[in-house]
Amino acid sequence: MSAPAQRLSAPQVRVALRASVGHAARSQFAFRASTWTGIVACVLQVILVHLVWTAVYGGRPDVAGVAQVDAVTYAVLGVLTTTLFQPFMFDSLLGRLRTGAIAFDVMRPVSAVPVALARQLGGTIAQLPAAVAALVVGLALGAIALPGSWASGLACLLSLVLGFAIALIVNFTVGLVGFWTLETGGAFLIYRMLAQFSSGALIPLWFMPDWLTGILTLLPFSAQVFVPLSIYVDRDPGWHTVQAIGLQALWIAILLALAALVWRRAIRRLVIFGG
Amino acid sequence: MILAENLVKEFSRPRRVEGRMSGLRSFFSTQKITTRAVDDISLRIDDGEIVGYLGPNGAGKSTTIKMLTGILVPTSGRIEVEGIVPWKDRRTNARTIGAVFGQRTQLWTDLPLRESFDLIAKLYGLSPEDYRRSLDVFVDLLDMGPFLDTAVRSLSLGQRMRGDIVAAMLYRPPVLYLDEPTVGLDVVAKARIRDFIGEQNRSEGTTVLLTTHDISDIEQLARRVIIIDEGRILYDGGLDSLRARYAPFREIQVSAPEIPESLEIEALTLTTLVPAGEEMRATFRFDPAQIPAPAAIGRLTAALEITDLSSREPSVEDVIRRIYTDRGIEPPVEPAAAGPGAPGQR
Repeated sequence: MSAPAQRLSAPQVRVALRASVGHAARSQFAFRASTWTGIVACVLQVILVHLVWTAVYGGRPDVAGVAQVDAVTYAVLGVLTTTLFQPFMFDSLLGRLRTGAIAFDVMRPVSAVPVALARQLGGTIAQLPAAVAALVVGLALGAIALPGSWASGLACLLSLVLGFAIALIVNFTVGLVGFWTLETGGAFLIYRMLAQFSSGALIPLWFMPDWLTGILTLLPFSAQVFVPLSIYVDRDPGWHTVQAIGLQALWIAILLALAALVWRRAIRRLVIFGG
Repeated sequence: MILAENLVKEFSRPRRVEGRMSGLRSFFSTQKITTRAVDDISLRIDDGEIVGYLGPNGAGKSTTIKMLTGILVPTSGRIEVEGIVPWKDRRTNARTIGAVFGQRTQLWTDLPLRESFDLIAKLYGLSPEDYRRSLDVFVDLLDMGPFLDTAVRSLSLGQRMRGDIVAAMLYRPPVLYLDEPTVGLDVVAKARIRDFIGEQNRSEGTTVLLTTHDISDIEQLARRVIIIDEGRILYDGGLDSLRARYAPFREIQVSAPEIPESLEIEALTLTTLVPAGEEMRATFRFDPAQIPAPAAIGRLTAALEITDLSSREPSVEDVIRRIYTDRGIEPPVEPAAAGPGAPGQR
């Protein structure tokens, strides 16, 4: 009657991960009030961002070489992507760490890493209603222009997927800080603020002083939001687009290696000091 | 089968530096303090056994269990659970063991209990049929129907504990570690959980290692106990021989209108003497090897005008209290002379 001592098959692992995605998403939806406030907040942000950027331009067709329509589109899409890329999870790795439930999670037949990533994906899915509502409002306001060209649109889709992967990996790695500090509220707050700013979600990197833009393009945050969105509004994609996407892929490789390294140290800490 | 040989676990933490700038200097200090939580423990638990694992707080019980589950890597020594080295192969080990840490929950708090079970079934690769069959049986046995659709956050402690036990057994692991599964529960909830564990052990042959501070858990479930303190095994053997070894006496309580304090009866020791209403009540202790109980009672009735009499064995709790408190006063007890069923000593 007892389960045979063997590892799970690949299809069983897929079922387990899909279940984790669904479970995490439903956990978020369980907070109904929070889901509604999330929707309202996201829609409000889109409206405000639209208002502010339109006012900043004040009738001028372009500022610092950036057209008004591009700036507004960028800002509105920035709100949407940030909402999806950095879900606020109640039931994250950190939560499990604080309650000690992580001890159970590391002794399951499925490794805790893919499960944690799947749960984050679930968190993103839980943000979809907010993002969709904001998208509808953005379109209604005429705040979202069509992509610069059809090639830009396609490239942007690919780049968004890569950007999301980067966000997922970085969020996971930052979450691992909890293995050392246990208290991560502060660290996470600072991280979210920095990530939002450096990813170009608040202010496009175009408008920042050159030295800052230089630094920020070297960080993995710009590859999350700025790269896909600047591809979207780009009317003349080309070699530089391919380069930008290639750089994103490079970031994924580097960050994966880093995440694996940090995870190994974190799990070592767990097995040395106990759950 | 659970097998541990010469198991040692040391924890080291940085030594705190005293004096000026102690915080900063501690940060860079490389001095370490090492403590041995588990110090050369060997034990062997056969399939289908229920073993009580006892010891005062901080004795090393949870550390042992964490090593057996594979969460902790031993500093030295060998472990094998159902032929698997737990910390080397956590993934494979996962399906052969179930664990309940009473002080913690593995359930996800924001959704109904059922959702946690659904997810665990999939994380352990259960087929939908097997899952449904297991769940139906467990829900029935533990009477969980009424709260299966309640959010875990809103469950009472007893309900949550039942949920955690089912979560650990849904995939029918042959080995179960229960670390204080009855902590904080009322008598009814405790009884329910004990009955369930006993039942699973009988019907499925589940091997159970149970730590608890409630001796009645052990008395009702386990025939064998392992007692540890300061990371070492003090005793490994049957409950009965534990009593015989550490409290080889029995007690008789008598009531009589008059009991002189100076009363001396051969082979009986007066331990307590208290007034009880109109009468006096006294407790005598004797060694059944020295004098059989009927003879002891005969001597008492001859010496006193007895109105009431009862005899009792010292409870396991008395015995264990004696073991815990004796340490430090007497030299450490030789590890268990224990009879059969104590293969731990080698």
